[in-house]
Amino acid sequence: MTMKISEKEQKYMNNKIIQFWRFIVLNLKILKAVDHSKRS
Amino acid sequence: MAKVVVIGAGFAGQTAALYLGSALGKQHDITVINKYDVFGYTPSWVWVGVGQMNPEKTTFKLKPVYDKFHINFLQGTATAIYTDDQYVLVERSDGGGEEKAAYDYLLIATGAKLNFAGTPGLGPRDGYTSSICSLPHAIDTRDRLFETIARMEKGERQKIVVGTGHPDATCQGAAFEYITNIHKLLEKRGLRDKADLLWLSNERALGDFGVRGLHIKKKGQVMTSDNFIRSVFDLYDIDWQVQKGVREVEPGKIYWEDYEGAEGETDFDFTMLIPQFLGPGFTYYDKDGNDITSKMANKGGFVLVDAIYGLDWDTLAETPEAWPAVYQNRTYKNIFAAGIAFAPPGSISRPHVNPNGLSITAAPPRTGMISGIIGRITALNIIDLIKRGRMTHAERMSEMAAACIASMGDSLWDGSAATIVIYPVVPDPRTYPNEQGRDMFVTDMEMGLAGAWMKRMIHSTFMHKLQGRIGWKFVPE
Ligand SMILES: Cc1cc2nc3c(=O)[nH]c(=O)nc-3n(C[C@H](O)[C@H](O)[C@H](O)COP(=O)(O)OP(=O)(O)OC[C@H]3O[C@@H](n4cnc5c(N)ncnc54)[C@H](O)[C@@H]3O)c2cc1C
Repeated sequence: MTMKISEKEQKYMNNKIIQFWRFIVLNLKILKAVDHSKRS
Repeated sequence: MAKVVVIGAGFAGQTAALYLGSALGKQHDITVINKYDVFGYTPSWVWVGVGQMNPEKTTFKLKPVYDKFHINFLQGTATAIYTDDQYVLVERSDGGGEEKAAYDYLLIATGAKLNFAGTPGLGPRDGYTSSICSLPHAIDTRDRLFETIARMEKGERQKIVVGTGHPDATCQGAAFEYITNIHKLLEKRGLRDKADLLWLSNERALGDFGVRGLHIKKKGQVMTSDNFIRSVFDLYDIDWQVQKGVREVEPGKIYWEDYEGAEGETDFDFTMLIPQFLGPGFTYYDKDGNDITSKMANKGGFVLVDAIYGLDWDTLAETPEAWPAVYQNRTYKNIFAAGIAFAPPGSISRPHVNPNGLSITAAPPRTGMISGIIGRITALNIIDLIKRGRMTHAERMSEMAAACIASMGDSLWDGSAATIVIYPVVPDPRTYPNEQGRDMFVTDMEMGLAGAWMKRMIHSTFMHKLQGRIGWKFVPE
């Protein structure tokens, strides 16, 4: 199955405001992953 | 006073050296042995290879960092380890001959030995392919790519093949970044219609990346990394072939075997193929001068540690505790191995042997983050052993998260990257009894400009951290 990346999705991927928001979310996601890691 | 020797100043060794230096540097004797006098930030060599980053931006001098942390630096190549007499034999880089580096604790963090010889015709020196696995290679590859681009500018159509150059290669992520960055570069130069781009890999499926692929939940639907990478290749008009084990390369031709045992060939004008990675390849000697290498390292030269070796793959897949926790050799408890140098108990992806007996299996990656984490753990345990006489740190790859940002164009304005968060790296079907054995809440993947910003940010923060600059400990590995 190939899912096409639609025009709308491409715009979303390069929309600076949305992507700024995603940048913050991604940072939090990575910190969440680090937190889940055992890190003992 | 204890003597600690670290061989290798990459992600694992440099992280370990900073922890060791900051905890022990003033009272104990810490020495780092490294081939070169600089640290090399590997992830950004993808950008060097497409001429989008100056090579100097990916390195820094080691000695000033070590001076700050009271660490001795010996520039040279370690060749042999005398496990009972406790010293490393080093060929000095300054032409000063051989030197013995004595240790009470030894950490081997030598990364990958690039086995171009494992595939006839592979590699930039004795073969016909390019590589981005070392900085000189990335620079040479950039130049060859620009020669290819010059031919396109003259109107010639060029075929560019990127992927894996050995049936058991790993590091598909770096190759994926490279092909998507080439796409973006050609697009920017208005030459994309002059090139056919092909992804050629030993993975079972697209997006396997040597970690058995990923499943993530998006808006209630499950998406796989296979679908995700397909849609990227579809968008970028990149052809792909998987389940191919490259056997040989000749000028302009790559010969491979596939999962079914069929033989085939692929033409190219320019190709970047990742070689097989091997372990450090030291010779180990006991007190009587006997060669005990086969007891210390596996066939690939990777250092044997506290993993459970010899399990068949199905059993291994059900046994997350088979993955090492403290990365300590079982015979010589004062020897540790971190990063790519340690011997994993097997592959994460399901192995495949074709009817001709050829193993075509994506080997398990030990990425920068994973190597850094293991570097920290081994350093903290060596500190523990010196200060308290027992270890208190442990983390298996089946308990470890990793984040990987696959650049797909470096521009901060219209670049892109796939941000992949994976937990745990090695699936643990007991703790996570779902299809992929991973935490679906943490494991994630998305693509967009934010990823390109992340990739840049991580370059800067890691170059900052690994130079031991202010707040370095707060940047998680
Ligand atoms: C092009 C490319 C892109 C990548 N991109 C990413 C990415 O985006 N994210 C990510 O997480 N990972 C990435 N990786 C993987 C990452 O680079 C490795 O996982 C990581 O470098 C492994 O760390 P290490 O410390 O084990 O080895 P290295 O970082 O390779 O360090 C090993 C060090 O040991 C030294 N050495 C070797 N042998 C000897 C010897 N005999 N004597 C003395 N010194 C020796 C070497 O000179 C080197 O300095 C990429 C890899 C490549 C090739």
